[in-house]
Amino acid sequence: MSRPFYIKQTRAGKFFDILNAVFMFCFLIVVIYPFINVLAISFNNGQDAVKGGIYLWPRKFTLDNYEYILKGTTLIRGTIVSVLRTVIGTVTGVLCSALLGYIVSCKHFAGRKFMRIIFIITMYFGGGLIPTYLLMTKLGLVNTLTVYWLPSLFSAYYMLLTASYIQNIPDALFEAARVDGASELRIFAQLVIPLSVPMLACIAIYIGVGQWNSWFDVNLYSKNGRWDNLQIILYRMLNQASAMADMTDSTMLSEKMRTIQPLTIRSAITVVAVTPIVIIYPFFQKYFVSGMTLGAVKQ
Amino acid sequence: MVLEIKKKIKYTVRRFNKQRQLWLLCIPIIIWVVIFAYVPMYGLLIAFVDYIPGMSIFDCKFVGLKHFKDFVFNPSFLLLLRNTLAMSLLSLTVGFVAPIIFALSINELPHKRYKKVIQTTSYLPHFISWVVAGSMIYMMLSNEGIVNDILMRLNLIVKPVPFLTNGKYYWVIYTLANIWKGIGWSAIIYLSAISGVDMELCEAGAMDGMGRWGMVRHVIIPTILPTIVILWILGIGGILNAGFEQHLILGNASTQNYWDVIDTYSYRYGIQLGYYSIGTAVGLMKSLIGFTLVFITNRFCRKHLGTSAF
Repeated sequence: MSRPFYIKQTRAGKFFDILNAVFMFCFLIVVIYPFINVLAISFNNGQDAVKGGIYLWPRKFTLDNYEYILKGTTLIRGTIVSVLRTVIGTVTGVLCSALLGYIVSCKHFAGRKFMRIIFIITMYFGGGLIPTYLLMTKLGLVNTLTVYWLPSLFSAYYMLLTASYIQNIPDALFEAARVDGASELRIFAQLVIPLSVPMLACIAIYIGVGQWNSWFDVNLYSKNGRWDNLQIILYRMLNQASAMADMTDSTMLSEKMRTIQPLTIRSAITVVAVTPIVIIYPFFQKYFVSGMTLGAVKQ
Repeated sequence: MVLEIKKKIKYTVRRFNKQRQLWLLCIPIIIWVVIFAYVPMYGLLIAFVDYIPGMSIFDCKFVGLKHFKDFVFNPSFLLLLRNTLAMSLLSLTVGFVAPIIFALSINELPHKRYKKVIQTTSYLPHFISWVVAGSMIYMMLSNEGIVNDILMRLNLIVKPVPFLTNGKYYWVIYTLANIWKGIGWSAIIYLSAISGVDMELCEAGAMDGMGRWGMVRHVIIPTILPTIVILWILGIGGILNAGFEQHLILGNASTQNYWDVIDTYSYRYGIQLGYYSIGTAVGLMKSLIGFTLVFITNRFCRKHLGTSAF
């Protein structure tokens, strides 16, 4: 809703409009500037960057920082783990949420209420951090990739989201398939999934972004560092940076790369960690919002 | 009689047979939910015993509410409570009002295209992780960062302010960081509420000489009030959730007296130091208080404001 034509535009109103537009422009800059700044620093020479004063454009352009990332095995491995957990987590998560959504919206299924309830309870009660952590330890999921996707396979929230969407698909479609002798799994794979692509895209984005961004579970469960992802590497660098403000980590720097500073490496990792999000963002932002408002209606 | 029972059994069996496939699909899901959602709930019982890893909960020594008492009478309890309440109250006031004002201002923007650009950009920070956000905040607030630079150029300060290592600034940084990351996203829900404004009401108001400010005050705000109330109730329930990831990322040893909240305490004792029972007790107590608070505020709002979350 914008200003309707029948409201008079007063001088004060005009003044407010200008002020508002300017204010919003400032806001825009505050949101975008950190991204540009990190990008600029990541392309700058390390020793030069620590002097400060780099804002929108690198002062001494170099690709050393990215070269350093590409050479270091930890960082390459971290990127691979990040990609791997995002892909596996999203695919399994989306399929399982959709399956659960289909099961609880099958009108002739006697157990649908039961299934709904056992999941809705988990929305309100949970074991919390430590019991979950102990369980994962007991199940032997520490130091595995499984721990990143298996415990978040199903969720009550996505169940409600998918169920409300699948319920709007005409039931006659499924009934016809059943009469023709299709199994439930086949109905799910060949009818439900193709018919609910917009919904699935929305969930996929949520799960995917969540998987790409998560670092705390890595912090908990990746003890030997085998399954460290990008975010956790960045987190550890930040922690080091805050512990020793002007430290040059000699173990991380090879002899010939003295010019590289933690600051610029950090910016380069930040850029790598944020780029996928920024790239998919314009294409999927309508899904982001539709999911948000759908969820809000449900609540 | 026998015939009837037979018929009933036959019907049930037939019905089950027909749904056999769906039940089969449910089995792994039920197993999953029991293991990953209900076993941890059972695990909460370790808050009442002296848990030793590897032992069954019932073999451990039962201590009742000892861990809860220990936590409350702990000398650091008051500090934790102060930090938790201070930061969550800042979020519930400043952090809560900011998206509302933002949504109202976006709504008043005259150009559709400009509006769209602002809105789309505003929720970009929501989708980056706190680690990335933290990394950016470090760069902004460092001694050579832009914030210090601007303040120096405006002659407001003489030498760079160590924002991240001085606890005084921590609460403000925390609140602003939360707003920066969440304002656009939180505004979506208000904007969608604003789009439900009754146009006839606006026209009637305009007839009676209502200006733009009047429109906001007497039409838009009453329309979105139920949304505001619901979100506020939920916010009250989370009053003891004063951030967690943020503190692990933005906080450091020199500012610990300002960022150490109940959640970080529970994490530090429960997982880093291995006092599982204490950590669990603290977490459990926190969620119970949160639950109670939601119910109390909900009842209050239903009685006095006429709207409630449930």
